[in-house]
Amino acid sequence: MTSRMGRRVFVIGVGMHAFGNQGIPATDMGYVAGVAALDDAGVDFPEVGALYNGYIGGGITAGVHLAKDLGLTGIPVTHVENASATGSSAFGEAVHAVAGGRVDVAMALGFDDMNRMGGLGRSGRRGLGAEDVMLPAAFFAMWATRRMHEVGSSVETFAAIAAKNWNHARENPMAQRRADHEVTVEEVLASTMISYPHTSKMACAAGGGGAAAIVASEDVARRLGGPMIEVVASQQRSETYTDGHVFLGAVIGPAQMTRDTAGDAYEQAGVGPRDLDLVQVHDAFPIEELVYYELLGICGDGEGDKLVVTGETSLGGRIPFSTDGGLTARGHPGGPTGLAQIHETVLQLRGAAGHRQVEGARTGLCHMAGAGSVCVVHILQRA
Amino acid sequence: MLPTDPHLFRLPAEGEDRPRLLGSYAPESDLHFWPRRKRCPVTRTPVQDVELGPKGTLYAWTFLHVPRMGKVSFGDTGGYAVGQVDLPEGVRVQAPLMGSQQDWSIGDEMALTLFPVGTDDDGHELVTFRFEVVR
Repeated sequence: MTSRMGRRVFVIGVGMHAFGNQGIPATDMGYVAGVAALDDAGVDFPEVGALYNGYIGGGITAGVHLAKDLGLTGIPVTHVENASATGSSAFGEAVHAVAGGRVDVAMALGFDDMNRMGGLGRSGRRGLGAEDVMLPAAFFAMWATRRMHEVGSSVETFAAIAAKNWNHARENPMAQRRADHEVTVEEVLASTMISYPHTSKMACAAGGGGAAAIVASEDVARRLGGPMIEVVASQQRSETYTDGHVFLGAVIGPAQMTRDTAGDAYEQAGVGPRDLDLVQVHDAFPIEELVYYELLGICGDGEGDKLVVTGETSLGGRIPFSTDGGLTARGHPGGPTGLAQIHETVLQLRGAAGHRQVEGARTGLCHMAGAGSVCVVHILQRA
Repeated sequence: MLPTDPHLFRLPAEGEDRPRLLGSYAPESDLHFWPRRKRCPVTRTPVQDVELGPKGTLYAWTFLHVPRMGKVSFGDTGGYAVGQVDLPEGVRVQAPLMGSQQDWSIGDEMALTLFPVGTDDDGHELVTFRFEVVR
């Protein structure tokens, strides 16, 4: 089940277009991100051997049209779509293209605008069917009410996670939500109720954006002479059967999928949760970040709430999560989201994250879940 | 009266007071599934068509304050509820709930019921299913 990499792979360049509701076409934001990543890597587009475009909206040919602006070099251009995990999967394909020897340099490029997309695939007629009520907001809210019942988690804990991520984004110029003041738990709780117990300030920011990453073989990375940031794990899973398996209306597969994918990644990287310096997760709602503390092995089952109270997952804490604001505040356009996590982690491992820098960061984990049943985990390490 | 999703549930037959969910049973794995499967996803062995429900236990719930299901509202509560209900066959069903959040608690017994959501092009009333608390 675990994916293997035939040779070492390094991230040589990252780039982004700021996330937000700016009215800019998604492909234009993708172009900006792609050129920024090329500039960051110090390579020209003809050196890229394969391009993996991650987008959910935009139509069937958006990726190859965008490639025409980057350069008509004749390389394979492939559209990758895996719902929220689209950018992470595109990155994984680029990593494996280099790891498997297909090419020496590959680019993953994500672009999207969440406000211009349709919903999940549905059956039923006229939007009246049973699947039409199963919004992501409802699905994750049910994780939350069950957690409150089983573990005694409070709405204040959910609000504290969201406030933390809003405040992390204050230091991120690429973030969609940049508050001009310290966001408080009370402010998050007082925002509009969307799906009990989640309020609007707990829900991820939907907007547009672009993000890109370029990976290369060890030979290329050493020739370029930049910081050596290695992809030490690249894993992706779909669901396996679990007790209480929900087939219809489950926005993502069972939570166990995250534990299994992370286990694969730790094994491949030869590291454990205690070796991590920072983590990015699919925090579309704060209940997710809370349960991922446990599913990623950062703490024991039922102990995640304590990490929030003690500030261990905040910048300056033992193991900061969502250092760029996460989906909550950096934003979640769709295709670029997972690549924004790579962008953030690479900046952190280079020591170039400015005011949100995690001191001495050497190893970072990126986790994304996608609708249907997708989980992607990457571990990056400064060599 | 017609079901919105005839592959998911059927209307109450004569003498029945509640609808039934249309599921599958895999003898090899002794597992039930809903909705129907083409084969057992665990053992890849054949499945049989079965009917499930109509009662179970509430596992999780939420109450949404955003509009959905076209223009249909679920009563005058300003939103609608969705829950996960565990059936005795071992199947967890995610579906709308009747009422507002003061009306139930996790662990309550729930039962399937019908809810009208509009009409089709020929004027037939369309109904979907949801769960209500059994008192």
